[in-house]
Amino acid sequence: MSKTKINRRNFLKVLGLGGAGAALAGCDMPSTVTLEEGEEKIYSYLAPEEYVIPGVGVWYASTCLQCPAACGTHGRVREGRVLKLEGNPDSAVNAGKLCQMGQAALQAHFNPDRITAPLINGQPASWDDALALINEKASGGNVAWMTGTVSGHQRVLLDAHLAATGKGHHYAVETVNARAWTDAGKTVLGDAMPTLHLDKAKAVLSLGADLLGTWISPVTFMGQYGKFRAAPRGVLIMVEPAMSLTGANADQWVAAKPGTEAAVALGVGHLLMTKHGLSLNGMPNATSAFQSMTPAQVHEIAGVSEAALNKIADTLVSHSPSLVIANASHAAARIAMVLNIMLGNVGKTLTPGASIAADPLAPMMGSSKDLAEFAQNAAAGKIDAVFISGANPAFVAPQGLDMAAALKAVGFKVAIATCHDETTKACDVVLPLSSALEDWGTHVPAYGGKPGVVHLQQPLMEPLHADTRGLGDILLTLGKSAGVDGLDAFEDYYGYLRTAVSAMIGSELEGDWHRVLQAGQFETRAASRAFSAGHDVALGFSETAVSGLHLVTVARQGLYDGRHANSSWLQEAPDQISKAVWDSWAEIHPKTAASLNLKDGDYVRLTTASGAITTRVFIYKGVHPNAVCVPMGRGHTDYGRWANNGVNPLTIVDAHLGDWQSSEIIATASLVKIDAAGENRHLVRLMDTDQQYGRKLVATIPAQQFGRTQGGA
Amino acid sequence: MSSLLGNIFKGWSDYTKGNEEGGHHDYEHMYAMVIDLDMCTGCNACSTACYAENNLATVGEEYFGARQAMHWMRIERYFDEPNVGEAEADTQSRGASFLPMMCQHCNAAPCEPVCPVAATYHTPDGLNAQIYNRCIGSRYCANNCPFRVRYFNFYDHQETAWPAPMEQQLNPDISVRSKGVMEKCTFCIQRTRAARNTAKNEGRAIRDGEIQTACQQTCPTSAILFGDLLDETSAVHQAWKRHQVQLGKYAQNKTNPELRGYRIFEELNVDTKVLYLERVREV
Amino acid sequence: MSDRKHLTREQTKDIDENIAWASINTDVLRSMENPRRGYWVAMAVSVCLFSVMIYAEVYQYMYGMGAALLNTSHMWDLYISTFVFWIGMSHSGTLLSAILHLVHADWRKPIYRFAEAMTTFSLMTAGIFPVIHLGRVWNFYWVMPYMTDRGIWPNFRSPLIWDAFAITTYLTSSVLFLYIGMIPDLAICRDNAKGWRKPLYTWLSLGWRGDDRQWRNFRFTYLMIACFLIPLAVSVHSIVSMDFAMSIMPGWHVTTFPPYFVAGALYSGCAAIITLFILLRYFFKFEHYMTFPILDKVCKLTFVIAMVWTYLNLVEFASVWYGHDIPSKEVLIAKATGPYSPFFWGMMTFGSVLPFSLLSKWVRRNMYVLFFASIFLNVGMWLERWMIVTPTLSLGYHPQAFNVMWPGWTEWAMVGGSFGWFGMLFLIFVKVFPCVSMYEVKEMVFHRKRTIYEDVDEMMTLHSGVPGPKAQAQTQTSGGA
Repeated sequence: MSKTKINRRNFLKVLGLGGAGAALAGCDMPSTVTLEEGEEKIYSYLAPEEYVIPGVGVWYASTCLQCPAACGTHGRVREGRVLKLEGNPDSAVNAGKLCQMGQAALQAHFNPDRITAPLINGQPASWDDALALINEKASGGNVAWMTGTVSGHQRVLLDAHLAATGKGHHYAVETVNARAWTDAGKTVLGDAMPTLHLDKAKAVLSLGADLLGTWISPVTFMGQYGKFRAAPRGVLIMVEPAMSLTGANADQWVAAKPGTEAAVALGVGHLLMTKHGLSLNGMPNATSAFQSMTPAQVHEIAGVSEAALNKIADTLVSHSPSLVIANASHAAARIAMVLNIMLGNVGKTLTPGASIAADPLAPMMGSSKDLAEFAQNAAAGKIDAVFISGANPAFVAPQGLDMAAALKAVGFKVAIATCHDETTKACDVVLPLSSALEDWGTHVPAYGGKPGVVHLQQPLMEPLHADTRGLGDILLTLGKSAGVDGLDAFEDYYGYLRTAVSAMIGSELEGDWHRVLQAGQFETRAASRAFSAGHDVALGFSETAVSGLHLVTVARQGLYDGRHANSSWLQEAPDQISKAVWDSWAEIHPKTAASLNLKDGDYVRLTTASGAITTRVFIYKGVHPNAVCVPMGRGHTDYGRWANNGVNPLTIVDAHLGDWQSSEIIATASLVKIDAAGENRHLVRLMDTDQQYGRKLVATIPAQQFGRTQGGA
Repeated sequence: MSSLLGNIFKGWSDYTKGNEEGGHHDYEHMYAMVIDLDMCTGCNACSTACYAENNLATVGEEYFGARQAMHWMRIERYFDEPNVGEAEADTQSRGASFLPMMCQHCNAAPCEPVCPVAATYHTPDGLNAQIYNRCIGSRYCANNCPFRVRYFNFYDHQETAWPAPMEQQLNPDISVRSKGVMEKCTFCIQRTRAARNTAKNEGRAIRDGEIQTACQQTCPTSAILFGDLLDETSAVHQAWKRHQVQLGKYAQNKTNPELRGYRIFEELNVDTKVLYLERVREV
Repeated sequence: MSDRKHLTREQTKDIDENIAWASINTDVLRSMENPRRGYWVAMAVSVCLFSVMIYAEVYQYMYGMGAALLNTSHMWDLYISTFVFWIGMSHSGTLLSAILHLVHADWRKPIYRFAEAMTTFSLMTAGIFPVIHLGRVWNFYWVMPYMTDRGIWPNFRSPLIWDAFAITTYLTSSVLFLYIGMIPDLAICRDNAKGWRKPLYTWLSLGWRGDDRQWRNFRFTYLMIACFLIPLAVSVHSIVSMDFAMSIMPGWHVTTFPPYFVAGALYSGCAAIITLFILLRYFFKFEHYMTFPILDKVCKLTFVIAMVWTYLNLVEFASVWYGHDIPSKEVLIAKATGPYSPFFWGMMTFGSVLPFSLLSKWVRRNMYVLFFASIFLNVGMWLERWMIVTPTLSLGYHPQAFNVMWPGWTEWAMVGGSFGWFGMLFLIFVKVFPCVSMYEVKEMVFHRKRTIYEDVDEMMTLHSGVPGPKAQAQTQTSGGA
């Protein structure tokens, strides 16, 4: 498996005719050609290009788009087909590693339920008709875009299109986001995305930030976590209502009542001040907030014992430098930032973030605030037309937002998607999008990259379906017809991108371009960022509701927010915590179960103010007795053959509660009623036991012993 | 006829020779693994990478529920025992324990002697290999595997696991197993073979780290180490040595008993080649 | 013959020594002709069961072994346990024919033929199971060391290969034993046959004329095969037990398995003999040959073997219980208390408690009670095999694989179908071959008469001068064949 890095365009010349009418290109420009056009370009393996050896895989660099982290990838290509993805070792984001979602990008690409032709009102149509209709209906007025996280030149073209069409707005929707953390960073330190140094920290306190699972850039964090666990070993403390992957790896796992992580953080600060004599200079607001939250109050509000709280504070002091991170709420994130200042972590484990100077390329981070705003604006009739790509608002929106009505109120809706989903069904025009492995693009990782580095996404394979187009190409076409200046010079997005990248690297030379392709990334000017002094922001904790059962919906690495539910690999990959597959479940505490007389596998009906779902219970002690945790991602109705299972807890999340300080929907703040639905069926899991039955399977040793042997040296 | 007899006699003498040497060949390599359970986060990336690399079929909820899944690499999750049944403990006080479990490539593999047709055997690379073409599906090997890491093709999965165009993703380096044969982790034998051929073509020995198994390559925390135990410079050899674990023993005599290395079910004397490093607990 | 009083349960003599040789022939040959309605009903049931088995196998072949609901923890289930069950059944014939032949227990003579047939047919039934349970059944012959220029041999270390050798050898030997023992009877059949039977028996009887040389060679051959068969029978079931005992799984890796399996085999074989004994006696009106005293002896033998089996069972439990092998102990405890416990206690009840009923003479002499008792003894023995295979696999070493599994419909279909197949073969046998050994019954009658009357005659003549029963009998009996 030699990693021969060679010219990609020559490689394209020798692509054989793939299955299912795959298109061929024998030309330099990877524009789409039909089967008939490609026929004369079929090359026999009897006379291949000199570097193509049948049976030997060749690796090409690209970028993973399975989650907003934008990891660098290497794709193994053999006989014109991409077979396997690995992490790009040159990428600072993931350092050669990939998570399971990244591995499953292959299934997003080869998915049997891809959209293969444009649709107008559900009927197959030609690109010309579809584009003509778009020109007619979406050329003026309020033309909005709804996307996931976008960055790089796609964002540039998108912004240009928005500017040309008028007064539209770009809604970036990510249900799984780090909005609380980035807002707090901006407010307290003046940097939305500070760099975290897990590997240098001796202790990490996380308040609901699932950094190993889904938070910001999990592969980056997991890479650091590996070093964090090397001797001298760091201590991981997790405070959350229901165990996440990070919690499952925590040395101290503290169950807090849903929505009370901020109180726990204040309590920790209180102990740091009173017990350990730490102080905050020039931050009287924060100081008084800490002082007023005594451990006894924390116990009352969050249900966290004083002993646990003391242990957290002691660990943070004894294991310096430490790091406090939070994503549970805006309040918790702010307090975490201030705790970092108090503990003296700023500058050690928390340093200014890395970014690029070219702001238009910077990632537009998604949030659920945008989802709520879109729903409000659409329902108010403020949006005339919308382009939706990389987002599935009809699936992720709580019923309280009434996304169906909101979408109905939008006059003209265009979905640009690889697969049918709940949103494409509601759209007037559906444009078939090339998969991430067939498309060109540039991506600026929101986190973890080297300063000034842009990841390049290049096709690893000719399009599987002849009639799909890349997002860049579609944006270019739309931009041209909207009259964006300077786009007419480019025949396709490849040409645009190459020109733009050449300009950024300051070289038009073929060789330099090839070096970019080989590396999968290039460096451009970095912006130097610095922290501003800690702002003394208000650190209030408003007690919303801390009694009664609350619904907690979490994302797990795997199905994520539901976008990967159409992958059979990820459906069959057991959930890290419950080990369940192919269906939803509700995690409840044995006490809750006992009070309702429930046993494993019983169906329950979960009712909130916004609606009800029925699913099976999984009983274990990794949830707070006041929480009912239903992981999100399942419950699709129109997302291909593999996604129709389970329930979607996002629908019953109360959209109007939560962290309205920033209009963010908080997934832990809905009161829920739980009733037995009568039926019982065994929840299909990898294993039905939690115990090792005295076998020496996972042996454990105390940390002191680990320290003595320095990890085994 | 003479060549037929000659082959038969040669096959027979090879066979008896193997037996005289305790059933072991002269090993050229001895591929082994080290998994640091303290670094393993249980994220499942290795398992999915294995599905992608080794053409593993997904079976769906019904068959998974019937325990007929084909996950060569499975991540088991345990909770600490005192914590589970403790009446006072309201909730877990610490995280879980994760265990990546795949074929341990035992040197004294219990699956090998029981196969009626010798479809599972030891390669000169020290791997426990499964010859799909030879397997008749008696499933005795799986019954005799204490780790339960052998997976049987109870069905033909081609149609359901890889509907068109997904068959294009199948790794052509290895076969798609048909109904009725046993399969299991091969330590990515296709990668081992490719590296061996490359090294041979270039007239050199295989370098340490040149072969990465799919699970190792993707593991986000780098908890998995793979290499040749016979190569004294290899990282795997060093780790085994550092943890004072030796092959061929069912009880290790460590001068420093605090070292973390151990093998699962070592007392069964199956001589596994996966060294696990204990998970560390803050007390 | 009209006096049937001595045929009741008060009968004390194994056989009425006054049976005329000719009537032996008549009775046995009659049983081979004119099947009645009951026969056809039994045949129809057997064929139906067998057809279901064929259907299940075709389905399983098309669909995959998953149809049997086997899974990663339970790679074996009813196919293997039923295989062991039928192998066990096959030991009865060997016991009755060979062992009792060697120890000159002549009461075996009226009943050994059908027991031998049972041996053969049980083996033919048992042999189906290792084949159908293969994932790729079309390659089953790969377990045989046939000549191939690729030089590929089976794995001689595998107990399954030993099985293949042991079973084929045993089957061959038992067929030979059955056939050779039948030659004098086939000659009788030949002499009385008409139609298609004539050439069949002519060919099969190998020109038997009953001269001295033929009898001498026949006796010698029969004895040799009997001697050969006994160690073979012991080894076959020992080897079958090694499928389990040679593995490392807790609950299987048991040193006492070989004798335990042999005892269990003889046990279930004896129980099956009782069942068939009663059926044949009832349907073919063999009251003169299959008499209560013989049944009584078989019952006593069954009881003794049941006690040996129980003892070995308890030895196994005790050694696990007092040992320190935790996984084995878990399996044992789970057998007694887990989800399979009803079947375990069923096995203990039927296998170890029920045999005590055989201590009662009333039971031993009551055909109806005994018939059901013998059926339940065999149910117990079938459960034993299931309880060996499945509970072990449901636990084992690795907790992730702990799993309780219940057999799928194809498994039940094949278990039922195997009885259909066995029944079919047996029903064909009883109509084509004499299921009571005519020449041996004659020998028995002859010897009994001599033994009894010669002594009595001598005494009576000596002490009273009155002619003894022998002289009287000579005037009554008209002669033999």
